Amino acid sequence: MIGLNDYLGLSALLFAIGFFGVLLRKNTLVIYMCLELMLVAATLALVAFSRFNGILDGDIFVFFILTVAAAEVAVGLAIIVALYRRRQTVQVDELNSLKN
Amino acid sequence: MTPAQLATLMLLLPLASAVLIALFLRRRGALAAWISVAAATGLALIAGHLIFRGLRDFPASTEWLRFGDFAVSLGFKFDDLAALMLFIVALVGWCVHVFSLGYMRDDPARARYFAGLSVFMFSMTGIVLADNLFMMFIFWELVGFSSWLLINHWHERQAPSDAAKKAFIVNRVGDFGFLLGIIWCYSTFHSVDLTTIADKLHGGATVAAAIPLLLFCGAVGKSAQMPLHVWLPDAMEGPTPVSALIHAATMVAAGIYMLCRIEPLFAAAPPVALDVVMWIGVITAVYAAFCAVAQRDIKKVLAYSTLSQLGYMVAAFGMGSHEVSLHPGANSSFPDPWVVMLPAGVGAAMFHLTTHAFFKALLFLGSGAVIHACHHEQDIFAMGGLRKKLPLTFMTFTIAVLAISGLPPFAGFWSKDAILGLALEKNHLVFGILAVTAVLTAFYMIRLWKLVFLGTPRGESAEHAHEVGVAMGLPLAILATLSVVGGFTVIYGHSFAGVLKLVPSVELSKAMVQSLVIFIVGAGSAFAFYQPAATDTLEQKSPGLFALLASKLFIDEAYNYYVAKIQQRFAMLLNFLEQIVLAGIIIRGLAGLVGLFGLGARALHTGRLSAYVYWFLIGVVLLWGFAAGWAF
Amino acid sequence: MADLLFYITAAFTVFCALGVVFNRNAVNAALCLLLSLVGVAVLFALLNAYLLAVLLVLVYAGAVVALFLFIIMLLDVRADQKRPFKLVSLIASVAGLALMVGGIAMILRRGQLTASPAPAAAAPVGSVLKSYAELLFTTYLLPVEIIGFLLLIAMLGVIVLCKKFEGLEDVK
Repeated sequence: MIGLNDYLGLSALLFAIGFFGVLLRKNTLVIYMCLELMLVAATLALVAFSRFNGILDGDIFVFFILTVAAAEVAVGLAIIVALYRRRQTVQVDELNSLKN
Repeated sequence: MTPAQLATLMLLLPLASAVLIALFLRRRGALAAWISVAAATGLALIAGHLIFRGLRDFPASTEWLRFGDFAVSLGFKFDDLAALMLFIVALVGWCVHVFSLGYMRDDPARARYFAGLSVFMFSMTGIVLADNLFMMFIFWELVGFSSWLLINHWHERQAPSDAAKKAFIVNRVGDFGFLLGIIWCYSTFHSVDLTTIADKLHGGATVAAAIPLLLFCGAVGKSAQMPLHVWLPDAMEGPTPVSALIHAATMVAAGIYMLCRIEPLFAAAPPVALDVVMWIGVITAVYAAFCAVAQRDIKKVLAYSTLSQLGYMVAAFGMGSHEVSLHPGANSSFPDPWVVMLPAGVGAAMFHLTTHAFFKALLFLGSGAVIHACHHEQDIFAMGGLRKKLPLTFMTFTIAVLAISGLPPFAGFWSKDAILGLALEKNHLVFGILAVTAVLTAFYMIRLWKLVFLGTPRGESAEHAHEVGVAMGLPLAILATLSVVGGFTVIYGHSFAGVLKLVPSVELSKAMVQSLVIFIVGAGSAFAFYQPAATDTLEQKSPGLFALLASKLFIDEAYNYYVAKIQQRFAMLLNFLEQIVLAGIIIRGLAGLVGLFGLGARALHTGRLSAYVYWFLIGVVLLWGFAAGWAF
Repeated sequence: MADLLFYITAAFTVFCALGVVFNRNAVNAALCLLLSLVGVAVLFALLNAYLLAVLLVLVYAGAVVALFLFIIMLLDVRADQKRPFKLVSLIASVAGLALMVGGIAMILRRGQLTASPAPAAAAPVGSVLKSYAELLFTTYLLPVEIIGFLLLIAMLGVIVLCKKFEGLEDVK
């Protein structure tokens, strides 16, 4: 029988993989995508919780997460585009004018 | 206004004048001069009111600082002693202010001078009115500061600058002993209030001899006794009115005043304390008198004369108390006369201080008139024949010379003979030495008088000397009058009775004979011996003796050697230590350490996103650990 | 049967997530993200949250990933920007991953979740939607309004960010 623990474990694994991607990759856009992956893993956990407790509040929260994630992606990508216009690069280790 | 308010006003008036001049009137010399004179006049008027209306012992004390148990308070103690001192300070101060109007008329830095005079009046009044040792010490230092300021008036030249530093530093050495004495006094009595200390000693308690002797160190510095006398002759680099006010009449007398204030401590100490004081005074008096014989500069002669007279005062104080027999009435049940010990030393010293203030200030102001008339020529061998050119100055100077030589009935006779009478009673050796000193005093003063005023002019400037104006002449006249009548204590009425009744009385005829003998021997030999010439007769006749006298026993040279060789080396060693250890290791090392921390923190700002994400991770891990219960 | 489906879908999703992380080409990574989102949608369906599954595909996979693809292609990421992973960063990332996994595992172990109840029976879509609506517009009304406001702000922000400002010359 698949239990809550399995779903939570899966969610945790997806989150960890997303985090790994954030640490590893140098392309800003790919980092952003891994961030979205982490977000989705969180939604999975939420839905699992709400399902296994027979309430709907977790689902509602996923609604909000979805909306916010969409807005966040829009703004974030706009920032990246503006950054690209200025610096002609999206590699994170070249975007280091805050150094020292 | 209550007396306390009046006294406060009197104290603050010269301070206000000084502040006003220093802030606003630096370039307006004439206005500054008048403001300063007005402040001095105000001070004199209020002082006169307080003194001659008999307002005494009014309570006035406020707490100023408090450190737990220990409180520094400021207050006034206005008894007869303070009244007498205030009288001298106010009167001589006023005379000097008026004299300076004429003397410093052409000086470009006039405003600074008058500001300095006002600061001095403020500080000196503070010493006079002080009711506890701390307040006195504060104003003591202020007086030292104003002395530095005024000696340093012509600081463009090296000599006044050096002299001012010397004065301040030598004073500081004495003040160190003074401060130690105050601290010891506080630890013994838990109070530095003069009245409280006197009360505690009333019942016959005893104190260690060290306390009054340490306090005496302050007087040794300020009143230029041996071995801290070296600053006073050098202090003659300042303008002459300054010498008159500070280094003749008032500041140097502050030491004597302080001694009189702490007299109960001396009374309660073992007799060796007073003996030390007496011998220091005696040695100073005779040493200075010998040195004065060989001086060329008119002001230096007067400086050594001041040293000698101060030695007289200190010696008088050191001779302490003497017995007075009070005979009861015929019908009394007590057959034997009572014997009372009176602090006669206080009386004799203060009386001589008063008369000395008058004639020494007159001598200095007179010499100031001479110097001003001769266009700042100070060598007495370049003067001469000024009797005809400066009649008023000549007359007043003569009165002063006769007064200092102790000729009756001038003021000096009365006070000097009180001291000699006390000495005769106490210690014949001291009496002998002081009598010899009196002879020498007459000797060098007549030498000075003859070489400056009699004969024919020996120099260019003496040829063209002109008499002084009203501003300079009026103080001369006032002080001359006082030098004549100042010895007759009746003129003061009851104002200073508390002090003057302590003056030991001497048998008049014996005293007069004694003084006349001294005068004739001293003055006569000087008059006969010295020929008005461009060189010193003594130097010509016996160069060896003259060289000995002029050498001043090489005390200055000894001090110079000590400072240059010993103290300077020690100071350089300390400087080296300070550079390496304090400035180098501790200060720069600590700063470097902080800098290192900064560098380390700076290295964390890589600007790379991934680095920041790692920091997030570490933070989250720490939080988890904390939640899991890892104790930090 | 449901278990098997779960395991297959889980494996697929994880595999695609790893693809996102390790793929050099940004476009490939975006497409892998798309696939993993589809996998998660299937998992939602397994949990009987059908509405959410569809919403996920519509919004996330449809709009967000599309946006990503637009931007990737707009920014014209060159092929020569594929560099091998530096050993240092690989090791550091693995260490980070280990820390993360360790932390989560620790939490899960301490959590001591009780035996999980069975998933609630699926109600017909219509009634589920009604209960969603009920919750949304009563209990969670305030967040709904705030989210609306947030969307407005986001729109404004994007418009501002995409303007060309005067005085800032484009670096060629």
